[in-house]
This record gives sequence, structure tokens and C-alpha cells, in this order.
Amino acid sequence: MMDTQLLISGVIFGLSIGSIFFLMAIGLSLCFGLMRIISLDQLLYYSIGAYVTYSISLLTGSMWLGALAGMVVAGIISFGVERFIFLRIYERDIAFTMIASFGVLIGGVGVIKSIWGVIPRPVPIPTLTQISILGTEIPVYRLIVIAISLLVYLGIWLFLNRTIIGKAIRAGIEDVEHVEGLGINIYRLFTTTFIIAGTLSGLAGGLHAPLIMVDPQMGLEVMPFVFMVVIIGGLGSIKGTLISAFLVGQVVSIGSLIYAPLAQMAPFAIMLLILLVKPTGLYGSKLLKR
Amino acid sequence: MMNMFRWWWGILLAFLLLAVLRVFLPLPFSNEVIIFSIYTMGCSFLLGRAGFISFGQPAYLATGAYATAFYLFYFGTNPYIGILIGILAGIVMSLIVGPLFVRLRSDYFALVNLALAVIMFYMLQKVLVGITKGDNGLWFLTNIASTPVLDLSRPNHFYIFAFLVAIAVWAFYKYLNDTLYGACCLASKINEDKVKFLGYSNFKIRLTAFVIANTTTALAGSLYAVYLGFVSPEMTSSHRAADPVVVTILGGVGTLYGPIAGAIAYTGMKDLISGLIGNWELVIGFLLVFIMLAGEKGIWGTLEPLLKKLLFRKNALKSE
Amino acid sequence: MEPGMPVYGGLMAMNNEEILTVRNLNVSYGEAKVLFDIDLGVKPGQVVACVGRNGAGKSTLLKSIAGFLKPLSGSITCDGVDLIGRMSYDIAKMGIKYIPQDKKVFSDLTVRENLELGSYATKDYNWDQVTDYFPKLKELMDRKAGHLSGGERQMLMIGRAILGSPKVLLIDEPTEGLAPSIVSHLKTVFGELKKKSSLVIVEQNLPLICAISDKVYAIKEGRIIKELAGESVKANICEPYL
Repeated sequence: MMDTQLLISGVIFGLSIGSIFFLMAIGLSLCFGLMRIISLDQLLYYSIGAYVTYSISLLTGSMWLGALAGMVVAGIISFGVERFIFLRIYERDIAFTMIASFGVLIGGVGVIKSIWGVIPRPVPIPTLTQISILGTEIPVYRLIVIAISLLVYLGIWLFLNRTIIGKAIRAGIEDVEHVEGLGINIYRLFTTTFIIAGTLSGLAGGLHAPLIMVDPQMGLEVMPFVFMVVIIGGLGSIKGTLISAFLVGQVVSIGSLIYAPLAQMAPFAIMLLILLVKPTGLYGSKLLKR
Repeated sequence: MMNMFRWWWGILLAFLLLAVLRVFLPLPFSNEVIIFSIYTMGCSFLLGRAGFISFGQPAYLATGAYATAFYLFYFGTNPYIGILIGILAGIVMSLIVGPLFVRLRSDYFALVNLALAVIMFYMLQKVLVGITKGDNGLWFLTNIASTPVLDLSRPNHFYIFAFLVAIAVWAFYKYLNDTLYGACCLASKINEDKVKFLGYSNFKIRLTAFVIANTTTALAGSLYAVYLGFVSPEMTSSHRAADPVVVTILGGVGTLYGPIAGAIAYTGMKDLISGLIGNWELVIGFLLVFIMLAGEKGIWGTLEPLLKKLLFRKNALKSE
Repeated sequence: MEPGMPVYGGLMAMNNEEILTVRNLNVSYGEAKVLFDIDLGVKPGQVVACVGRNGAGKSTLLKSIAGFLKPLSGSITCDGVDLIGRMSYDIAKMGIKYIPQDKKVFSDLTVRENLELGSYATKDYNWDQVTDYFPKLKELMDRKAGHLSGGERQMLMIGRAILGSPKVLLIDEPTEGLAPSIVSHLKTVFGELKKKSSLVIVEQNLPLICAISDKVYAIKEGRIIKELAGESVKANICEPYL
């Protein structure tokens, strides 16, 4: 019999982990939907976000400032990578871009190692306050993380449904050639999307940093989970990504309360099941070409 | 006769190089290279011929390795039987997951395989801890009995054995590429609809390719197990998921000598660079990006025209 | 604007007053060559039809003009400006709009949003010209484009393409699979459209071709085998076959 306190803290823990997954997965999902690339280098921007957060919070004492800086730096670096690498290879096969992005990822991990070293670093949690929900003490920071990710979802939703560039991105997810045929510069859309993705990955890294130790391999450690979120949700779908991120977060967190090894494995088993039933994920559209 | 020679010249050259390696380089390195190139051949075939990029090859590597390890740890002592069991396990494994996986689109395929590797990792590390001994791994070096002729418990004999296996695997793939089946694979990669219209089943073509490639990978796993005398879940960790893909790309996708060239380069760089600056990811990563930007021909793809030029000029001189 | 007045001041346009000129165009898909030495000229206000069997290379021709395929050799000029090597969105911006055969609208977006995208690219927000041609779209504004019928989709595709008053419209099989009433509606629309733009239409429907086209190119196995203009269209196609 599991007691309520454990369950509530487990749910909150799952939601906060899910929020981090969501922030990373949304960029991956958009990049896949629009540009048809599997951008493994998002995991690098996540690590960069975390490391910059570490350095800035060490320097200024403010983790929030650090996360902000991490976001900006991740965004700038993703812009550079897009300009110098992806812009030249968008036309190529998906396996091709996937490998190139993997090269960026491990190259970047190498750079991180040479700047910050290989020793895991702690980032101080900005607020240690706890509030009580139904008699359970919940760290406020985790609630803030959840709130931020919901805000980001709202923001992305508004961006995609209310702005003309967002609408063009949605149209491009369906058929990028037709968007181009209307006379819209799709490469500008690609760059915009990529920067959004990189920035959000950086934010995810910054927010995740106080909850874990920052180390060079951190991107590779979350990689399977993030990809699972994207796949379960359906590549290219924002709503699906949100739902599956929280689903995976809960499975990881509640699963570990039941039987620890299950926590890591169960999501993957769920993913296999979902794919076998519905090969395009929960909300994956059949319209996607290729 | 001449044709036979031409068919073989590449392999002779490549393996001559490996034999030379053996003389000049330490044995562990050469063994690593040989096994790694067998490991990569499967991945290269899958990517180059069938168009499937798999980020889950470690899962199949571990299948072979652990099957061999279980046999050698719990049941028997003969390494040859152990390797045979590893191969069988590879076939069984790919026949189980293959029919489910090959229906998926190539992007999902890559990620589903990654998921399989992660599941394998946790199975081996935590769930099956009773028989796999978890992170400690299985140690059975002393269990391996000496065998007549080629004694696999001795590294230098093992090298010769691995060498012969590599040649056999290479020749098999070379043969496969020249058959109608190889052509079908390529055709189904390029345009699956047209293959269907010709009356071939994409599903069967892909399943066969999947089984062949992953059995090769399992074979490499068995060789690892016998060579190292121990297995641990670490070999399936997601950090190493991309190794064979990276090596395939380094060597050149779909070329037959690519896996060998890539394995030499990758293992060499890993050893050399991590010895020198301890940061080999940096170099490999940027090399990878550079190769992709330069036109994905890889090391072998770039060398091949040069070598051919060199060789044919020699031939021309001889015939004069 | 006077037809044929060179906007970009090219000599070519001055000499033959063609708005779109294709010379010696060769195109291939990988190894397979599909178009051989195509010559094609479109004058302002003309409707040019390309006819031929499936696989003759008609669609390839339109795609190459629109910049979606890179030709091996040859030249494509519009108003004296070379189009080869330009990105296809650039070509569309210059006023050469390609309407593909697949009748694929952005099905997740509403009709309004589909038109907004057309306006965003061209900065032409005057939707009256669209609803004048296709009054039906007015009622459908807030419907998801995915829920439209085939004919309505075709209207939407033409509608969002004519925003910004393009110089040339490249239309691939506009009437394929549509009901006769819609075909006759499109016929009137094309008749109106040619007052503003030139049209290049790939079409199988002979009565439609006879009714609207000023020039017909017959394409076979990637080559132009016959070019008919003006009265000879009537004499050679319409009278013998209809």
C-alpha cells in the first residue's frame, strides 16, 4: 500500500521531469515536423544551457540569471550551427542529417569537456521553500518548473496559431514545397524554428541543472527519454509532445516508487507497444510525407 | 581467373593491411579493430543497402555477447560452441523483433532500435540481475577451454580466428551485393513502390536484410565475449549506441572496405587521441561533421579512387 | 502596364515581347533524362496549354520553371531575368506561381489562414479578387481546409496563388477529377484570369483547351513534337476531335 504523501510527491516529481522532457522534445518535434531532420544536437544545447547556468550562478549567485543566460547562449549557438551546417544539408536524407547532428553533439560534448572539465558540477537550487499540498511538503522549485513549461506550451501554441510565421510553420509541417510555392522563404522559417528549438533546449538544461549534477554526458543520458517522448507523442505534434512528456514523467516517477528498475525501462516498453499499435505515435499525422 | 582476382583484389589489399597492422601494432588494438569491423559490417549493410539507420546496434551486440557468455559461464567450456550459440541467439532475436521493426519508417526505426538498446541495458543491469550479475558482469576467462588447432583462449590465435571470420563475413557481403537479392535491397531503399510493382515483397527483403545484418552484429558480440572473457551491461549503454553508425560513416556508407577503414580510424583515433589530449569526442565529432559536409564519402570513399588510380596505373605499366 | 514593357530592362523582353521564355531546356531525374531541348514562349495575356500522355514530362516542365527542379542546361527567363539557379520561393515572389496537381491545401489550417499565407508572401491583402472569382470561398472561410471537397480545394489553391497578381500562373492538371460544373466554372475563371496574367496549363481536357488556349504544345517523351498557335489550334485539334 502506497501512502498518499509519497504518491503526491511522486506525481509532482513526475510532472517536473516531464516538463524538462517537454521543453526539449518540443524543439525536436518541430524540427522534425518542418525540416525533416532528427536534430540530436538539441541535447548539446541542453548541456550548454546547464553549464552556462552553472557558471553564471557561480558568478552572480542567481540561478535565474544563469538560466536566462543559458537560454540565450544556447539560442545563439544553435543559430550558428544551423547557419554553418544544417543550411547546407537540409535537402539530404534524414539519416544523413541525423549523423551530422550526432557529430555536432559529440563534438560539442568534447568542447564542454575542454572548457568545464569532466567532473560533475552542482548548481544551487534557487529556492528551498516548500509548500504543503494535502499535507505533503512540495519543493516550490519543482512547481515553478512545471509552471514555466506550461507557459512555454501556451506561448508556442499562441505563436503557431496566432502569428503568420507560426501559421507558415504549421503549413510547412504539412507540405514545405507548397509553402515555398507561395513565395515564402522557407529557409528563414527553418532558421526561426531551429533557434526556438535550441533556446528551449537551453532553457530545459538551465532548469534541470539544480535538480541534477551538471556533467558533460548529461545530454546523452536524457537522450533516450527525450526521443521516447517525441515518438510517443508523434513526430511533429505539439499537443502529443506535451501529453507524452507528462506521461513519461509519471511513468518514470511513479514506476520508481513501485519497483526501481522498472522506472527506467517501463517507458521504453510503453513506447514499443504504442508504436506497434500506432506506428506514427499518439498524435503523429499520417499526412507527413517520407 | 582474372575476374576472380579482380573480385578478390580489394579484400586481399584490405586484409594485407590488417596483417601488417598485426606486425606493427599491439595485439589488443588489432583484435579490437577486427571485431569492430565485423560489428560495423552489419550496420553498414543496413544503412548502405537497406537504407535503415539503426541507433540500437548495441542491443544485438549484447544479444550475441550474452548468449555466448551464458553458455561459457554456466554450461560449457568450448568457445566455438559459444560463438555458434551467439550467432543463433542473434538470428532468433532479429526474427522476433524484425517483423515488428521493419514495418516502421526509417526515422522511427532508428529510434525504436535505440529504445531496444535501452531496454536491453536495464534488463541486463537490473531486471535479470540474478543471472547477469548486473554491473559486475560475467567473468569467464578461465572457463574457456583450450581448443586444438586454433586455441581461442590465446590472444594471438584468437586474432587469426577473428581474421578468418572477418574475411568470411566480408566475402559473404561482397557475394550478397552481387546477387539479385542485393539489387533488390538497394531498389527497395530507393523506391519501395516500384519494387512492389515488380512483384517483390519489401517486407521480406527488409526482414532478410535486418536478420543478416543483426546476426553479423551478434557474431561480433560473441567474438567480443570470447576475446575479453567477460561481458557487462556497459556495452549496451546509450553512450555507445552510435558507435557503429559513426564508424560506418567514417569509413563510407555502403562501401565494403568502409567498415575496415572506419574501424581502424575510429579505434586508432580513440586510442591515440584519448592518449594525447583525452578528448577524442571533440575530434571525432568535428571529423564527422566535416565528412558529412564534404559529401559523405567517408575515408574509404575518398581513398578508393586514389588507390584505384594508383593500382591501375601499375597494371597498365605491367601490360606494356 | 503595357504588355511586354520590360520591367527589369532586359533586351530579350524587348525583342520578342515574351514574358516567359524557355530555351533548350534539358532536365533529368538523377540518371534518367526527362526533358530534351524544350523551347517554349509565353506572351502576356496568353493561355498556353501543354498536352501529352502521362509521363511525357509536362509536369516536369512546370516544376523546372517554378524552380523545384534544377535543369541540366538551357535557359528560363521571365521579363529578361534569368530564373535558373534561383530558389523557388524567389521565383514565386517574382510572380511565377506554380499550382501543383496534388490539390493539397494546408489541411490543418482554415481557408482564411491558407489565404493569409498567400498574402504574407506577396503583401497583397486584397481578397476581393479571390472571392470575386470564387464566391463560395467566402462562406468557407473558417472551415479547416482539410474538410473541403476536391473542387473547393482547387479553388483555394488557385485563389491563394493569384494574390499578388502573378505574371505567369503554371497550373498542373487543374480539372483532373473534378465535377463538370466546377470544370466549367474554372473555364470562366481562366478566361478572366488571362486578362491579368499569362497561364501555362497542363491539361488533358480537350474541350477546355480548345475553349481557352491561344497556343498548344504537344509533348511526347520529353520533346516538343508540335506547336500550334492561334487559328491552327482550332483547325488541328478542336475541329478534328470535337
